[in-house]
Amino acid sequence: MTVMEEAATLLEREHVHSVYERIAPHFNDSRYKAWPKVRQFLLEQEPGSIIADVGCGNGKYLHINGSVFKLGCDVCRPLVDAAWSQGHEVQLCDGLRLPYRDSCFDAVLSIAVIHHLSTKERRIRAIKEMARILCVGGRIMIYVWAMEQTRRKFEKQDIFVPWNPKPSSPTLGKECPPPRRRGTAQSVSECIYSGNTEKHRKVKSTSSMLEEEEMVCSPQQTQRLWFFSRSLDSVFDFGSLTISRSTSRELIGTFSPLGQVEGVKVGRRGRGVDFIKQVSSIFSGLSRNSSEEDVFASTTDLARGQREVGVSSIDNHNTSSEEKTSVCTSFVQDCGSVALPDLISSYQRDRTEVTEKSGVRDDGLPGDLQNRYKSSLNPRESKGEPAAGSCMRYYHVFREGELAELIESHVEELQIVYSCFDHANWCVVAEKVQVWKI
Amino acid sequence: MKLLTHNMLTSHVKGVTKGYPLLIKATEVKVSEEEFNPNFVSRMIPKLEWSALVQAADGLGHLQDLPTELIADYEANEDFLRKVHRVLLEVEVLEGCLQCPESGREFPITRGVPNMLLNEEEA
Repeated sequence: MTVMEEAATLLEREHVHSVYERIAPHFNDSRYKAWPKVRQFLLEQEPGSIIADVGCGNGKYLHINGSVFKLGCDVCRPLVDAAWSQGHEVQLCDGLRLPYRDSCFDAVLSIAVIHHLSTKERRIRAIKEMARILCVGGRIMIYVWAMEQTRRKFEKQDIFVPWNPKPSSPTLGKECPPPRRRGTAQSVSECIYSGNTEKHRKVKSTSSMLEEEEMVCSPQQTQRLWFFSRSLDSVFDFGSLTISRSTSRELIGTFSPLGQVEGVKVGRRGRGVDFIKQVSSIFSGLSRNSSEEDVFASTTDLARGQREVGVSSIDNHNTSSEEKTSVCTSFVQDCGSVALPDLISSYQRDRTEVTEKSGVRDDGLPGDLQNRYKSSLNPRESKGEPAAGSCMRYYHVFREGELAELIESHVEELQIVYSCFDHANWCVVAEKVQVWKI
Repeated sequence: MKLLTHNMLTSHVKGVTKGYPLLIKATEVKVSEEEFNPNFVSRMIPKLEWSALVQAADGLGHLQDLPTELIADYEANEDFLRKVHRVLLEVEVLEGCLQCPESGREFPITRGVPNMLLNEEEA
């Protein structure tokens, strides 16, 4: 596996798979309505059709249309078990490697799934896998979260979303409470975007942008946080993130105050996994000494411009030329009403030395390189409370046209039938076409 | 796991080219009654790999009188459709495993759910 694949796999394991496993019982406590367009798509299928729901979760779409045969699959065991106990045919599998033979499905669903894949390449692979199992003439419906919401847009595309902070509590989820039934599209949650030096900036947005499973937060709740991240793709883009080794050594130092955490060593042949672990060790001090309140309470001294501190070395397998050391991590920061411990400001470094991928705004954000929360997980779990941090799900939200472009440019066997914006999701329906290779 | 499901499943271990059909090794099989819908069954038949279905049913000892070859004009043959219905939808493997015919790799079935997840080396 390449370094990038490893990093992507780790990230998804930490911030998608294990989170869903943890929150699965809560998913099942409520009934969730199917998205109307998805329901419609299913009802339009001819009787006797065979349909795959890839990433079926607890099977909420599997009961629709009794005249067709639906096969669900998901990586999350508790969710799959729940779907099975509802009487559905399901398997445990990975969307990147579907255990189905070619061209055996008349239709495929991918509802709110591929936005959990952390690299563009993996998202393409997932779509290609689903195209493979579709028969010619069959259609796929894909739903992904949109970057552009009804009234605003996410500032970045790669985000961590906390699971259901308890609305009544002034601090963020010490536990992951059960989800409430989702109300109407008018329900609001507060959403905080980064990149603003203003304190307490809060932006309201419709919670319908979220998956149905997201809890409706009361207007009183002010602690809805979105953590932004840099995409793994940009992190591993050695062309744009170049920094000399000497410069990176300057950047690496001892971090304080929350414990003297050693600077990350820049190794010659740092494997992706090793560097990832090294990065996470920086945060271990933070987690041991700070409480949830410290991190999520009110006042803030927010990200002023960039707070990039990158410490890593990545062994670039792909180039035979000298390896590049790239500074590629940034820290989670929430803008708005979050108190970041002083620790964070001590990480500030002069980022003029960092060359960044253009277009990416720098707010320190962390750990698209996982394991970030791993160490924060353990102390809390020993108290029997899953930390809010442990329930952070990774999402890559899609820009307008991005999903269509992925398909048009990379999946020649699919032809787009239509695309639309539906309740804060981008929806694309595509048809499998015969591809003739000469 | 019903036999209709099994008919769609294949081994996807890296490097395997003949991963279908998976061999069923069942330790617990359940037969239950499902509502018979002749239209549904009849439309399902062309999508099946018939020999794989027969092999699977036989392996479970549930072949009974199901023809080993598809008969002509089955759409109107209710008797035939009922036999197919039984094998496709009423026989369920609850515990056991699915074995890749080429690599021998076994995918466990627990509580009716096949675990087709590959580990890193196989993916």
